[in-house]
Amino acid sequence: MPTPLLQARNLTKRFGGVTALRAVNFELQAGEIHALCGENGAGKSTLIKLLSGIHRHGSYEGELLVAGRVAEFRSIRDAEAAGIAVITQEFALVDELSVAENIFLGRPPRRGLRVDWLEMHRRAAALLADFGLAISPETPVRQLGIGQKQLIEIVRAMDKKSRVLVLDEPSAALTEQEVTVLLDHLRRLRAQGTTCIYISHKLDEVFAIADRVTVLRDGATITSLPRAEATVPLVIKHMVGRDLGELFPRRPNAARGEVQLAVRGLNVAPAKGAPPFLRDITFELRGGEVLGFGGLMGAGRSELLLHLFGAWGHRVAGEVTLRDQSFSNPTPRAAIARGLALVSEDRKRYGLILEQSVGFNLSLSSLPQFTRRAARLDLAAEQVRNQQIFEALRVKAPDQHARVGGLSGGNQQKVVLGKSLMTEPTVVMLDEPTRGIDVGAKLEVYELINRLTAEGKAVILVSSELPELMGLSDRLIMLHEGKIGGEFTRGEFSQERLLAAAMGQLRAA
Amino acid sequence: MNARLFKNLAMPIALVVVCAFFAIKEPAFLGSRNLTQLIVEFSITGTLALGMFLILLTGQIDLSAGSGVGLIGGIAAVLVFQHAWPAPLAMLAGLGAALTLWTLMGTLIVRERIPSFIITLGGLLIFKGLFWLIIQNSTIPVTRGDRDNLYSQLTTYYLPEKIGFALAGTIVVFLGLVLWRERGRRVAHGLAVPSTNSVIGRFALIAGALVFAVDRFNHFRGVPLSLLILCGTAGVVYFLTQHTPFGRYMYAIGGNEEAAGLSGIAVNRVLIGAYLLMGVTVALTGFMTTAYSGASTTTVGDLMELDAIAACVIGGTALKGGRGSVWGVIFGALIMTALLNGMTLLAVSPEIKFIARGAVLTLAVWMDVRLSKV
Repeated sequence: MPTPLLQARNLTKRFGGVTALRAVNFELQAGEIHALCGENGAGKSTLIKLLSGIHRHGSYEGELLVAGRVAEFRSIRDAEAAGIAVITQEFALVDELSVAENIFLGRPPRRGLRVDWLEMHRRAAALLADFGLAISPETPVRQLGIGQKQLIEIVRAMDKKSRVLVLDEPSAALTEQEVTVLLDHLRRLRAQGTTCIYISHKLDEVFAIADRVTVLRDGATITSLPRAEATVPLVIKHMVGRDLGELFPRRPNAARGEVQLAVRGLNVAPAKGAPPFLRDITFELRGGEVLGFGGLMGAGRSELLLHLFGAWGHRVAGEVTLRDQSFSNPTPRAAIARGLALVSEDRKRYGLILEQSVGFNLSLSSLPQFTRRAARLDLAAEQVRNQQIFEALRVKAPDQHARVGGLSGGNQQKVVLGKSLMTEPTVVMLDEPTRGIDVGAKLEVYELINRLTAEGKAVILVSSELPELMGLSDRLIMLHEGKIGGEFTRGEFSQERLLAAAMGQLRAA
Repeated sequence: MNARLFKNLAMPIALVVVCAFFAIKEPAFLGSRNLTQLIVEFSITGTLALGMFLILLTGQIDLSAGSGVGLIGGIAAVLVFQHAWPAPLAMLAGLGAALTLWTLMGTLIVRERIPSFIITLGGLLIFKGLFWLIIQNSTIPVTRGDRDNLYSQLTTYYLPEKIGFALAGTIVVFLGLVLWRERGRRVAHGLAVPSTNSVIGRFALIAGALVFAVDRFNHFRGVPLSLLILCGTAGVVYFLTQHTPFGRYMYAIGGNEEAAGLSGIAVNRVLIGAYLLMGVTVALTGFMTTAYSGASTTTVGDLMELDAIAACVIGGTALKGGRGSVWGVIFGALIMTALLNGMTLLAVSPEIKFIARGAVLTLAVWMDVRLSKV
């Protein structure tokens, strides 16, 4: 066997009393795409941070070898110099600058002391053309979609002559089409000799592209399989440490309740005076039912939920009623009081106060429940209620006083869910509730949806993953550019028809 | 663990170092006469710092506080001296003016989405101009004739010995009741409670310290009224931030304003509320500091906003909001006051005083930035 390009030997990393990695071994052969799988908290991020110099040499035990020689990275720069580039979920792009400026950020071509703009644009154009990207180098990055931004990051890494490209959840925010484009590019880079570590929760992507799959669990290497020997059930089994039955265990609820939410002819503009973006949205939602909303990125799914919750847009026309009562001037406060709950897609931005404790976040929307005379909070009652939710959702944290920012993605998501559930809602709107969380936590979210509908609550589910949407919804509405592109009941679900509706190709019957 | 211990001990150590330095340089620093002055100055700085704490907690800032202190003190002084208003009424009018101005600033900031930095910078200049207009660049005493009034007594009145002890006793009994009821509630909910002995121990320690402090004060002139004002303010701010939804909401808004809004918090209302409370502390500080100088003059309140911000930041309040505690602010104010008082006592020249104040503010903010990264 040739010397691995990158090798980790018995890496152990501790944070205070917590061991994040225990004697992890990992080998990356030149020219391969190597997938790293594991639940959140399994140690993937920590391993990446060691490989990329964020956790510097000396802060861990064991050794790191690049092309057979011991590497001692003291900073990200050291790792970059060794040819290792990391592309994370948080983009390191400056929105206000152009594509070319971003590609050459920090190291623009110069002529004397001045920036050589002509050379910069020429080289950027060449790089973009190389990648088959039809983007002008002068486009401001803020005008690009998330998928394109991701590709710009890769272009930048490639221009830095990186030998190893580490992609941390690159597809978390991408549509299926964008993922296809991304994977094509990676295959091309592999053909040109670039080596790649690919981290994703989406196993279909992993299987579409990886040459080898390494599974981490609880900070240890569980197995490393060549593509030919790996199967989805096997990898999942290694990831969670047990067999999984049905992946989307929806228990349809035969008993339909009253109409909880009715939307008629809704037209919503982004701002007063602007043309409406959401147009002619009409639907009804009953208790005990899961209504799924699908569509491509930018179809208006999140905007619809945010508008119903009173946090987005200006209503031009239409009516929203909650249990037969009109809900005309929504604000999040009024929405919560009327029994609506929203779990937004970006939990760090819209869901959590990261610096505060689990308990602080859980009860944040429900403080009126614990307010006594003279605006005094009944801290004891609050703590008891927090503990109930904390245990019911099986949040993995030392206790409810732990800082939310230190939890894994899946556990943070549970806290956001718990915050919404504590308000005792009748209509629960979930926007991408399983984005960026691991398989085990996903299953718990699915179980929770079943439990909510069994209790007679109504659920709206937005998801970019069609199998998830089809598996969990009783009815599905596909949005296309702010309008309803098609509506389906459970028996009529098929990937082709749903996608056609999402692309506006289906004539509504 | 060590980092945390360091964080907790840093402030007391800094305070001891500062005091030791001045005490060695000038033994009179620890004399009862100077200490009493220091306590009054501490009450003034601390009260304003507590208001600033609420503003910083929500991620806002108030640069107009110092000018406001001068203006509000000036309004009350002019009403007393030139218009012969009774002192309480004049102060009430000053308080009304402060509430109006700060509500107005708060409303502008949240409704028009103008950064607080700009609005309060405008306030700094406008209030300064209004202040000088109102006192006509002269010196306006806070009394008419030689008769003391409530205004002038804010920083010169000391509680009689017996009243001091009675007050301490009342506070001890009240504290005991509150602690006992809180414990009872936890027991009723089946939550863990500290052992009876440790509670009684802590309670005895607090009660003992309180009685001891009152006794020390009584050996000199008694408990200063201004310290009582600070303690009252601190008590209210503590209750607000730790025991009410309003306080939680301030921490939440400072931590993540967007998430706070989507959690159903009326963000605008809370922010305006914070500015309203700032107005109250500006008025209290204005009265106390004007009374302390004996008259309203053009320099009253100069740069006090910066001392207040420094006190908060030294005490661990994050400038970006969402983190901080009343205890920290009290400690920060004590350190700031000791520095300023000590330098005055050593007759340090104003040039050096400016530089030292600036250095302390910069150092505190630098430490805030460093600690925020941890």
